Amino acid sequence: MPDQDNKCTCSEQPLVPIIVEVIDIIDRTPDIKSFFVKNIDGNGVPFQVVPGQCAMVSLLPVGEAMISCTWQKEQEYLEFAIKRVGLMTDELHQIEVGQKIGVRGPYGNGFPVDACKGRDMVFIAGGIGLAPLRSFIKYCFKHRADYGKITILYGSRSKADLCFKEELFDLWPKEPNTEVFVTIDNAEAEWDGHVGFVPSYLEEVNPSSNGAIAVVCGPPIMIKFVLKSLEKMGYNDDQVITTLEMRMKCGIGKCGRCNIGSEFICLDGPVYYLKQLRDLPPEW
Amino acid sequence: MKVLSKAKLEAALNKLNDQNEVFVPMQKGPQSGYFTWKSFENGQDELMLDALNVYQSPKNVVLPQTEKMYSIKSQGVEVNIDKTYEDAHPTIIFGARGCDVKGIIAMDDVFLTRGYEDSFYKARRSANTIIANACYEPGANCFCNAMDVNSLDPIGADVILRDAGDGYVWEVKSAKGEAVTALIAELLEEKEAKLPEAKPFTKKVDYTGVAAKLKGMFEHPLWDKLSEPCINCGMCTYVCPSCYCFDIQVKMWGDQGYRFRAWDSCMFEEYSREAGGGNPRGASKERFRQRFLHKLEFFQERYGTPLCTGCGRCIIVCPTDVNIVRIIDAVKEAEINA
Amino acid sequence: MKEITNKIQTIAARLFAEGKIDVFLAWEKGELDFQNKSYVARNAEDVKNIVFNEYSISNVSNSLLKFRDSHERIGIAVKGCDSRGIIRLLEDLQIKRDRLYIVGIPCPGMKDPLAAARNYGGFSKKQEEDGLAKKCLECIQPNPVIYDELVGPEQSPRQQGDRFAKVKAIESMSADERYKFWEDTFSTCIRCYACRQVCVACDCRTCIFDEMKPQWVGRENSTSDNMMYHLVKHAHMAGRCIECGECERVCPVNIPLMLLNRKLIKDVGTLFGGPEAGMQYVEGSKPPLSVYRENDPDSFL
Repeated sequence: MPDQDNKCTCSEQPLVPIIVEVIDIIDRTPDIKSFFVKNIDGNGVPFQVVPGQCAMVSLLPVGEAMISCTWQKEQEYLEFAIKRVGLMTDELHQIEVGQKIGVRGPYGNGFPVDACKGRDMVFIAGGIGLAPLRSFIKYCFKHRADYGKITILYGSRSKADLCFKEELFDLWPKEPNTEVFVTIDNAEAEWDGHVGFVPSYLEEVNPSSNGAIAVVCGPPIMIKFVLKSLEKMGYNDDQVITTLEMRMKCGIGKCGRCNIGSEFICLDGPVYYLKQLRDLPPEW
Repeated sequence: MKVLSKAKLEAALNKLNDQNEVFVPMQKGPQSGYFTWKSFENGQDELMLDALNVYQSPKNVVLPQTEKMYSIKSQGVEVNIDKTYEDAHPTIIFGARGCDVKGIIAMDDVFLTRGYEDSFYKARRSANTIIANACYEPGANCFCNAMDVNSLDPIGADVILRDAGDGYVWEVKSAKGEAVTALIAELLEEKEAKLPEAKPFTKKVDYTGVAAKLKGMFEHPLWDKLSEPCINCGMCTYVCPSCYCFDIQVKMWGDQGYRFRAWDSCMFEEYSREAGGGNPRGASKERFRQRFLHKLEFFQERYGTPLCTGCGRCIIVCPTDVNIVRIIDAVKEAEINA
Repeated sequence: MKEITNKIQTIAARLFAEGKIDVFLAWEKGELDFQNKSYVARNAEDVKNIVFNEYSISNVSNSLLKFRDSHERIGIAVKGCDSRGIIRLLEDLQIKRDRLYIVGIPCPGMKDPLAAARNYGGFSKKQEEDGLAKKCLECIQPNPVIYDELVGPEQSPRQQGDRFAKVKAIESMSADERYKFWEDTFSTCIRCYACRQVCVACDCRTCIFDEMKPQWVGRENSTSDNMMYHLVKHAHMAGRCIECGECERVCPVNIPLMLLNRKLIKDVGTLFGGPEAGMQYVEGSKPPLSVYRENDPDSFL
């Protein structure tokens, strides 16, 4: 149970967003776009994030949503990869570069980047789930010597739905001691890569569980099956990390709705070791 | 002892009302709740300080049902937040029972600790003074004593009133209490008063061990039976002095508007409904279970005290006779298969 | 009433024994004398918990909605108002007639367990009267209008005088007076949605007030949003409300909801004629506002 009582780090008014400018928008897939934000005066980013942390992104006249920050490039920008699923994200996908939006954060506990030093890392993601893991993956590559072998296993519905294609096919496979495996659900023309779901591909690839840490993110159903596979492959509960997801409104552990048991996913999570999850009610 | 004679009560309320917005328990026409003393209409309304309690709790004073947060002005690509609506006008809750005081103290834990201070709640709460009304005769549905509340000496009250017949013993408990006492100092008399005898609780509730036991009962079959009558209306959460869950929404007219927050309820279906359509608590039973686990287990785990304050309001208003006391009893009796 | 309880229990036991039903919906006693809640008996063992007494006021037909997607055969005990609720659900195609075995109870009038609970709770300084519930004193249909078996003697309606007297009183106010009346009334609403949840006619899978894309009525507890909620909800009741009075009974802030419902009943009756909602079951029939006829009145458009 978290016990911190430290003063708020982001602002005196944690529910009021900071206005930032969208300086770039890149289409990643038919329904995922990356939004790059920076302070309005062009000077730096509104706050620092550690890998795995999130922010409440708001299109002010419409609403807010909790989005994980997929990468912070020093003081140049914060990047959010956002999928179009609901009221706010629908409208957000229609904005253009130069639009001012709101952000507040950083929220959440982030990935245990220090505790994982020296370990072999196995990143398993599905669909938009690659976005939060990307922050950890890029962190590992930035501090390459601190981590062992890196395996990245990613799957999506179709070739068009593969997110961050440049990293997957061009940049990451070139990194030292790194293997990237990509799969799509169903065969299609112009794809001669692997076809199949992530959990079964994972068992095929079978990255060694010896001293490794597996980090999993994706649709809840994928996570469930991947966890089963990891168990079969010999990963202990303290070798598996995942991120949980619930509907969020306040982002600071007050409005009550994102709880699983007595944990608030926005504040105490969203990153959890499987060992911790065993202690929580099975609502995830 | 300082005593405020009942003959001088109205004068005292008027005096306090000069510099504060005073909320008193009132029967206002068909409504029963905490309303402003300023709105009291002689002949139509009735002051309920000598009644057990009123149906709506005073949580509205620090966590209003609807509260504006900040203004939004949006033109083209520009968007501005011109003002935020923290409201720190001084308020007094006059005559709150121990169960209601506990509700607010529990909300202080939620809104003012754990790394973030909710600026809107903080503004209202810092400017708020609680004058409690010690409770000497528990009602038929009262069980605050089992839920960590001392109805004779509620923690968190700035002043405690004790009904001694002709007048109220006025017991100052804090610096805030001193400040409001100073406002009516000349109305108080220094004399002895006979305190009433504290009557026993008729409802016997034993909460010990319930939180710990519930930890292993998430999947227990008793939730099926207990949740069957519940129609998920949300009345229990709205009359509860300690339910605090809220929603944040936006209201726009053209390019201007504001973001506001409003009471929400875990009983409502869209409470946990995600944008993609998934809903971890879509079934009535899941929401029912969430409410009672929150009240009886999760809050205890997180903040060290149960969230249910034993006021008994939900028991009276529930149209399908769901009763938190019977749920506590059922949990105590339940067998857990290893 | 003990006799009726026994009769219902006997019938339920018989239906279970003959394998004709999977569940039986009725009432069961709560802990205290005046407490009563809806009950689902799932086998012959459970039958002994079924009770019908003067506090069995809740609308059992509301529980049918829990079973709309499954296939159980359902035995159900209903009073006059509840039986109109069953017809409401049949007309709305929420449940099929052949799944139901309806035990009809001509109702002698019920007392309000919520009033008794308030008296017992001790919050009020005045005790509420111990007579029949307000909605029962205004009852026009105590006898079930649809049933497979009837238990108990026929009862007479209890509505005295002009059923629409209070509605007419409001109608005779000036427009400004009327607006003030409703504005004052709705400003007290706490948007707990109890009226929606107890209502049998509220059988939409996703209620319009729960929709977010778009959001039709905001969550704000302002007079305008409150008015929108009530006016839209009751407009959805026009021609469908079965006048069971549960909404008004459960309202924690005593909003006179039946005034709105009766106004609509009066107007729909005047404009469209025909039998009132839920008074008779004719297969394939629809509420007047669900049917388009070329000569429908349209002077109000």
